[in-house]
Amino acid sequence: MSNDAVIEIRNLSKIYRDFWGRKKVQAVKSLSMDVKRGEVFGLLGPNGSGKTTTMKMLLGLLFPTSGEMTILGKPASDVSKNEKIGYLPEESYLYRFLNADETLDFYGRLFKMSSAERNRRADELIEMVGLGKARHRQLKEYSKGMTRRIGLAQALINNPDLVLLDEPTSGLDPIGTREMKDLILRLKSEGKTVVMCSHQLADVQDVCDRIAVLFQGELKVLGRVEDLLEVRNETQIRSSSLSDAAISDIREVLKKHNISDAVISRPRADLEELFLRTVRESGERPGRRFTTEEIAGKSGKSGGQA
Amino acid sequence: MDFDVAPFTLRDTAETVTSWLFLIGTLGVLSLLISLLLSVARNGAAGIGIFSRGLLSFLEDVGSLSPRRILALTNLTLKEAIRRKALLVFAVFSVLLMFAGWFLTNSNERAELQVGIHVAFILQTISWLMLPVVFFLSCWALPEDIRIRSLHTVVTKPARRIEIVLGRMFGMSLVMLLLLVSMGLIGYVWIMRQLPTEATSQLTCRVPVFGRLLFVNRAGQPEEKGINVGDVWDFRSHIEGDTRARGVFMFDDIDESTLVLGTEFASDGSGTMQVPGLKFECQFEAFRTVKGSESSIIEGVQAQYTLSNNPREDAFSLFSRSETLRPLAEALRDAQFRTAANRLEELSAKIAADGEAVKINKSPELQPADYIILQLGTLYAAGVMGEREDAALEATIAAFQKATEIGVDLINMASASPDVDGKAEKLSGLHKALAQSLTELAAVLTQEADTLHEHLPKLEVILPSFHVAEFHEGGQQNIKFVPRTVRFSADAETQSRFLAGLFEKLNNANQLVEGDGLSSQLAAQLQSEGKISEQNSSLVVEVLTEQLASGALKVEGGKLAVADGQRWYQFFDSLIQKNLLISGDDEGWMMERDLINDLTTKGRLRVEVACLNNQMYLGMARPDLFIRKPDRAFMIGYTKAMASTALMMMLIIVLGVTVSCIVKGPVALFFTLTFFIVGQFFHGFMHEILIAPPDGGMGAIASAVMTAQHRAPGIGMDVSEATQRVVQGIDAVPRAMLWGFSQIVPDFRAFNAASGFVENGFDVPFAETLIPAFLICLGFLIPCVLIAGALLKFRELESK
Ligand SMILES: Nc1ncnc2c1ncn2[C@@H]1O[C@H](COP(=O)(O)OP(=O)(O)OP(=O)(O)O)[C@@H](O)[C@H]1O
Ligand SMILES: [Mg+2]
Repeated sequence: MSNDAVIEIRNLSKIYRDFWGRKKVQAVKSLSMDVKRGEVFGLLGPNGSGKTTTMKMLLGLLFPTSGEMTILGKPASDVSKNEKIGYLPEESYLYRFLNADETLDFYGRLFKMSSAERNRRADELIEMVGLGKARHRQLKEYSKGMTRRIGLAQALINNPDLVLLDEPTSGLDPIGTREMKDLILRLKSEGKTVVMCSHQLADVQDVCDRIAVLFQGELKVLGRVEDLLEVRNETQIRSSSLSDAAISDIREVLKKHNISDAVISRPRADLEELFLRTVRESGERPGRRFTTEEIAGKSGKSGGQA
Repeated sequence: MDFDVAPFTLRDTAETVTSWLFLIGTLGVLSLLISLLLSVARNGAAGIGIFSRGLLSFLEDVGSLSPRRILALTNLTLKEAIRRKALLVFAVFSVLLMFAGWFLTNSNERAELQVGIHVAFILQTISWLMLPVVFFLSCWALPEDIRIRSLHTVVTKPARRIEIVLGRMFGMSLVMLLLLVSMGLIGYVWIMRQLPTEATSQLTCRVPVFGRLLFVNRAGQPEEKGINVGDVWDFRSHIEGDTRARGVFMFDDIDESTLVLGTEFASDGSGTMQVPGLKFECQFEAFRTVKGSESSIIEGVQAQYTLSNNPREDAFSLFSRSETLRPLAEALRDAQFRTAANRLEELSAKIAADGEAVKINKSPELQPADYIILQLGTLYAAGVMGEREDAALEATIAAFQKATEIGVDLINMASASPDVDGKAEKLSGLHKALAQSLTELAAVLTQEADTLHEHLPKLEVILPSFHVAEFHEGGQQNIKFVPRTVRFSADAETQSRFLAGLFEKLNNANQLVEGDGLSSQLAAQLQSEGKISEQNSSLVVEVLTEQLASGALKVEGGKLAVADGQRWYQFFDSLIQKNLLISGDDEGWMMERDLINDLTTKGRLRVEVACLNNQMYLGMARPDLFIRKPDRAFMIGYTKAMASTALMMMLIIVLGVTVSCIVKGPVALFFTLTFFIVGQFFHGFMHEILIAPPDGGMGAIASAVMTAQHRAPGIGMDVSEATQRVVQGIDAVPRAMLWGFSQIVPDFRAFNAASGFVENGFDVPFAETLIPAFLICLGFLIPCVLIAGALLKFRELESK
């Protein structure tokens, strides 16, 4: 892997078929994208747009109908890639009759980890996800958020280089959500790559470096969050506590430049808007991919503050 | 119903293994081909690449199995079963045992029946309770894992799918073993406590030595079967009472290890003692043709064992298979070697005449079968005599061998194609040579008659008679203990031979003669040396004194000799023939012989069973008489039965897990159950269809055609030969499929045998039950793991 792409997807398609081989849904349509080492990548899209399907194909749980992908430089069907991957499924499908300790121990045993290492790592992770008090209770007694947390812990048991998180914040309380985001940023700071799907756009906006938006299996938008959300036909001046005198000075300057519609407030454009717009426009104009420029331009036009 | 111990046997092991390999190979190649085709059909030319990459990665998986991961999965399965309360079966088991106690205990029953009922109850209950657990465990676990997607988190770890399969199989087997061992222990304790104390002594594992069963008909001729008295179930064959009819059981491998300790009355009347001996147990069936009184019915039938070691019977009985050779056989068997020589002369003349007849193309007097039996008979006689490793027999053996060799040449020539140059000429020559060799044999027999008589001694031990109850279901176990040093009342031949031996020995030690007369100590010496009763020894001394006086015996150089140079045994024989040695003791001529050394040759023991009552019949089958080796502890057989159950459960687990890799729980359950039921109840049936002769069984299409043409099955179809071949070809397809199916469905009957043995109080023989069961299990484990691993690897883990 000379370049720094951890995941490479080329023309990936997936058609779900029924027992008789008849087509049911095309969940992913010739998707191509890369995820680079060390970034936090967000997969967005409305329900049923193929995010989970894409992730499962990357993990070898589903087989692509066509197209190619490599993950950590290996084909998706190669089990040995899993040594360095952590996966948090959409819902935590763990063994409900085990307790937290046993769960982590069981998953740890599937890796080449000594028992001391497993114990140390389990303590660390349970501490990290805040399940210290519940570690000896069976998973079937856990609340949804607690299940999410133990799910996250098992995904990280092997100290993976690449973490795939399918809706990591779903079911978490605000504190949990905050902690999850902190954790993702911490993983990033440790040099790990994170790929996540989420509906919590604010969360994505907060942690992701780059995002891809899927709509009905098609890639609609792909780019850096900053670029996508930048409002180009506006200028924003941000400062802490401007005095009234300063504000009237600024107004003077603006007047001198014949600018009369200036609003002095925060810009409204955010990811949610981008997301909604993308979905709306994709519905109107199917089969079209939007460039970063287009997206940015549009956000100026419709979302600019006048 | 009687327990037929003829156990499940694997066909010839080598054949089984090759057909297994063949099947696995075919299955492997077939499944590879199908997957290749599927891959190509789905992906076009790229499919070949995809296929080969998949195959490679599968092989890599197989090569890189990790015990650590398999163990982790095994452990998981075990925990799951325990936490999911599979062990609740115990509760059911305990409740069943509690209630069963009330119903099963019936102190009126015979002890061994009670034992059988209790043991059967435990063994059956355990396996019937285990079955649902094992079926559900194996068929549900994986599909459930896939359905709730917990498998997703496992396969996204480095666990190979085949490891998941193995881990599941091992884990379930462990659960099953855990259950089985615990239930087994509880069951054991239950049996011990539940059985009335007098019945617990019956809790053993008998180790039987079974023999081969032949029959002798009422005229004294060997037969395959006895008489059928009209039983629907012809398991047993009958012998007629008070005739020469016998059931002959031939036991092999009788040696010191077969001996058991038994109680015997001391000969000096000082009470009982424990001595080694053979323990015979029988289960004959009595059958009467006349109305019996109540008392006679209770009394039953008198039967009698005769242990015999008759090398003449062994060596020469084959001749009696031919009508023409039967007189020869009888003469040889009765040690009438001079008569036998005459018979051979006659035979030789006939064969010489046949030689002439062959030359002028006339039909010979002797049948081809006679020649074959003659040849086999001489071969066999030489073989049996050779086994005795007795130098005195060598001349006779050589003469028999020569006849054998010429016999072979003759048979070969006779069956050669007619256009061999000068066939008639050569054949005629061979006839002459054979005739010549028989004449030589006759000469040898005449010359060696006495030697043969001496060196092929018959020994017959007639044991006291015993009762066989008429309704043997209600009868007692019929166990006869025969001490190793068996005392018996000798027949004439044994008696004369015995006295001859004794006299030769005393003569050599110069102990017979004192001066001109017999030693005064002779009577006492005979008593102590030969263990002859007081009356009998004084009788011998008395008769010999008379013989000495009459000049039939003489004293020469301090030794006693027969005046006309006869051998001792001939001398005594003639005395017995002249009724001079009729015992004064009402026990007759009692003497002792060693069961192992005197009565078996190369471990072979012949036991003849006779029925003594007129118009009564005794029914018997191979398992009806056996020799009991030292019993084993009940626990041993019980454990083996458990092991056999465990193997069966394991096979179900293997099948269930394999099927559940590709289909959902209920479907997997259906398939596995089908396998089980077909394997348990229809295997024999399938086998029968398959071995039916091809012309006897008609294919579906052929019979449809014939039905349409209104033709009888024997005539065949009214169609051209080509059509016929096509129809037969098509009909062969379901046959081949049935064959394949019958090979793929495991023969579950193999696992049932063990408990049958234990329930009936027998030990479980490894070779006939556990080893085939184990092999079957292994034979399925290996391909199933591979198939299951592949199925799981190449399927998508989506439950919808
Ligand atoms: N096993 C399946 N069989 C048939 N169709 C499926 C299957 N799984 C998913 N689909 C379909 O594929 C499409 C994409 O589903 P996917 O689960 O990837 O969406 P998603 O983007 O993850 O949605 P969500 O945000 O709700 O999680 C949907 O139309 C869905 O109905
Ligand atoms: Mg999803």
